Amino acid sequence: MDRREFLKLFSVTVAGFALFGCREGVFGPSVKAAKKTPAFADFENEVRLALSKMKPAMELVRIPMPSALKTPGASTENRFGMAIDLDACDGCGKCVLACIQENNIPLSGRAQAARGQFMHWIEMCGGVPAMCFHCGDAPCEKVCPTGAANHTPDGVSAMMYKRCTGSRFCGANCPVGARKFNFEDPVDSGRSLQFNSDVPVRTKGVMEKCSLCLQRLQDDRHDFKALHPGEHWRGRGVTTACAAACPKNAIIFGNWLDEKSLLVLAAKDRVLYAPKAVASLDPSIVYMGERR
Amino acid sequence: MIFRILLYAGLALLLPGLCALGYSLWEGPAAWTTDARTFWGVPVSLFVFWIGIAHAGTLISAILLALGVRLDRRTSLLAELTTLCALVVAAIFPLMHLGVVENFYMVIPFADARGSFANLRSPLVWDFCCIAVYALLSLVYFSIHLFSERFQVLEDLRRPMAWLLFPLVLWVHTVVSLDFAVTFVPQWQGAFFPLYFIAGAIYSGLAMVNVLLVAEGCRVRLLEKLMMAFSFLMLLFWGWIFALKGEWNFSVFAFGALLPQLWWISPVRESPLGRLAVSFSVLFGLWLERFFLVSPSVGSFGKIDAGLVAFSVGLFTTLLVLLRIKLRKPIEGNELLFGELDEKSAPVVEHHTEPLTSREFIVLRFPLLVGVLVALVYTLWAVSRPAFDTVSVVLPNVAPLFYPIVALVAAVVLCVRPFWKIATDKSAADLVSNSKTHSLAWKIVAVFSFAAVGFLAGMFYAGGASENAIRQSSADIPSEVITDATVPDSLHARAVWNARCSGCHGTDGKFNEKFIREFYPVPQKLTAARLDSLGEDSLVHVILNGRANMNPYEGRLTESEARALVRYMHSLAPADTMEVAP
Repeated sequence: MDRREFLKLFSVTVAGFALFGCREGVFGPSVKAAKKTPAFADFENEVRLALSKMKPAMELVRIPMPSALKTPGASTENRFGMAIDLDACDGCGKCVLACIQENNIPLSGRAQAARGQFMHWIEMCGGVPAMCFHCGDAPCEKVCPTGAANHTPDGVSAMMYKRCTGSRFCGANCPVGARKFNFEDPVDSGRSLQFNSDVPVRTKGVMEKCSLCLQRLQDDRHDFKALHPGEHWRGRGVTTACAAACPKNAIIFGNWLDEKSLLVLAAKDRVLYAPKAVASLDPSIVYMGERR
Repeated sequence: MIFRILLYAGLALLLPGLCALGYSLWEGPAAWTTDARTFWGVPVSLFVFWIGIAHAGTLISAILLALGVRLDRRTSLLAELTTLCALVVAAIFPLMHLGVVENFYMVIPFADARGSFANLRSPLVWDFCCIAVYALLSLVYFSIHLFSERFQVLEDLRRPMAWLLFPLVLWVHTVVSLDFAVTFVPQWQGAFFPLYFIAGAIYSGLAMVNVLLVAEGCRVRLLEKLMMAFSFLMLLFWGWIFALKGEWNFSVFAFGALLPQLWWISPVRESPLGRLAVSFSVLFGLWLERFFLVSPSVGSFGKIDAGLVAFSVGLFTTLLVLLRIKLRKPIEGNELLFGELDEKSAPVVEHHTEPLTSREFIVLRFPLLVGVLVALVYTLWAVSRPAFDTVSVVLPNVAPLFYPIVALVAAVVLCVRPFWKIATDKSAADLVSNSKTHSLAWKIVAVFSFAAVGFLAGMFYAGGASENAIRQSSADIPSEVITDATVPDSLHARAVWNARCSGCHGTDGKFNEKFIREFYPVPQKLTAARLDSLGEDSLVHVILNGRANMNPYEGRLTESEARALVRYMHSLAPADTMEVAP
């Protein structure tokens, strides 16, 4: 390499780096559109739209009461879940809105909404709410390449958003289609409001789904650990946003392994059902039918 | 001439295709038409299509060689070249399919410094490993073939390598089919999927090689006959699927099985255009088949989808033609025409060999032994030590990586001696570095590969190995201390710290590095000097309102609790500096 060649290469490199350094100034303003924020009424309207495009009812089969998880490292004291009372629910959709507010769920695009595809973690299927069933033997977790979809020892099928690479394999393998993919950036596209600062707004390209209000469980666990050191936490007194919002008290949250839990008390003398597609996968969320 | 036309055609497809690729990378998976049920789309079907073609190239060359069916050097080199180019094209699509492309490395099962590991139960992880090994070995196999004329040691290496690649091709495509077969999607279920995928791959690869042979201006009857045989095999599979699930796609049947039957008419098969039409019809039919398989309920086909297809075809054509022009000398070296066999260099078929005495077996037995041992060690390690506490990895989860590891290790062991021989051979060294440009190219390649290795190492070991901070639960505080009412405030602060803060900051205030490194930029350590400079009020403000990656705790903690936490941080900080002092 002679001097001339060296100088040429050097100046090109410097110019390249300079361009790279100026990219914010050169491309910045045109790329970043002014951020819009939706109004609360938009979310209410979307819930109404979702109710009008309700999915058909799922085929339900009888299942026994959920027991301790069989996965390694699972807790023998806690397994959180919910029971949805088929007799009490009138399909008003308040749980869907409460879930949106608790978990900062964005609006979906117009084209997707027209197809009946919403980001809502709770969807109405034949007049009853359906969400992720938090299967004990979850098929979505098995196919996740990075381990972003994982199971907590307390029986919550959780998502690690920072670890998600967006392969969408979990979505393909979910028998009930409970997983929602962020095709667009919710903040950049102006479709999200951060109602709740305890829950992060997801970024583009990650999967999300019902987390069983994991943040409420974590908060209560931390409080309990600080106030009652040395005692065992059973998650008493925690409830999910949908359960709290239900006017008919048709959604009951609790700990399947805690005899004193409201969930166990309510489900004890009822017949339990689960959708046929997940009935063999040990679901934590069940439907309650007639009294036995 | 034909190559120049092909090159222009490839570029004409590639450049608009690049726009589609760039747009879909920018826009993410929303760019192409997706299916509400499966979330996948054109990139996955293109991946399956091109990986199928990549497998068939090696099949034609290696399996035929291993089985003692003789094929001329030019055809088999062309088939191997097809493999390499198709692999490059196929590798792009799973990457761009991802929602968060920059996180792709999390799929690689590599025990990195962060202590995180891919989920070995996922077919995507098997896929990645198998295809990476396959790509590497195909490259080695191709270069061995390319230089085999010059060095007898390399020619001797070809048949053992072919025997290693033969099962690998079948294995890798089986794993690709498992991406579909392990799921709950009804259209993708079936134990016959591996065979179905392998047959489809071979069929499409034969068609591709036949297209290229038309471009070269010749025909190899063996490959044409094989293609016709496979058209009936595929028809059998489609019939089987129809019998099982009642699905029948007429366009796939028409292009994949019906139109190829024109080959029986002699004017069609004797004119190059007729052969081209038949082969293209097969390729198109098989692409349609993959498309309908990946997105069963998709109704429309958008501009970006078409752009991606154009990109893949254009990239493949351009790469292939450029390599073909570049490698004209070694490929056309010994003046043999297509379909002609060089009797001297053709391997002698040994008709009556006692079991376990064939030359290949004797050459291969030690490398295979090493490979099997390494694969066994890996399997035992992976099963005994799952990456996640709540996951049980069982043998079937690890088994898909077994043969690729065997093949990789065996190939490395096999190649070490011949390559060493060549490297130390003086005349060979002269041959390789006879021109100045040649040595410069080698230097550039060396610099780039060093940079790539350094980049990968840096990515995996960013920040060096880290230890988990001592996890201390509040249960560890002795109960007699709890009842002691003299220091309730600081004790409460310690309990709050352990419960809420230690997850990231560690019970000793030195960070839970295993967690932090994976997800966040590591924050500054809370030394006494830093705490003093920030002051209590601003720290309380950060705790309550959050900052950068720190979550806000207002509503979960009272202000007095936050103040107590700041004082507790002060009590943790001196311990930190004391450690450094001596």
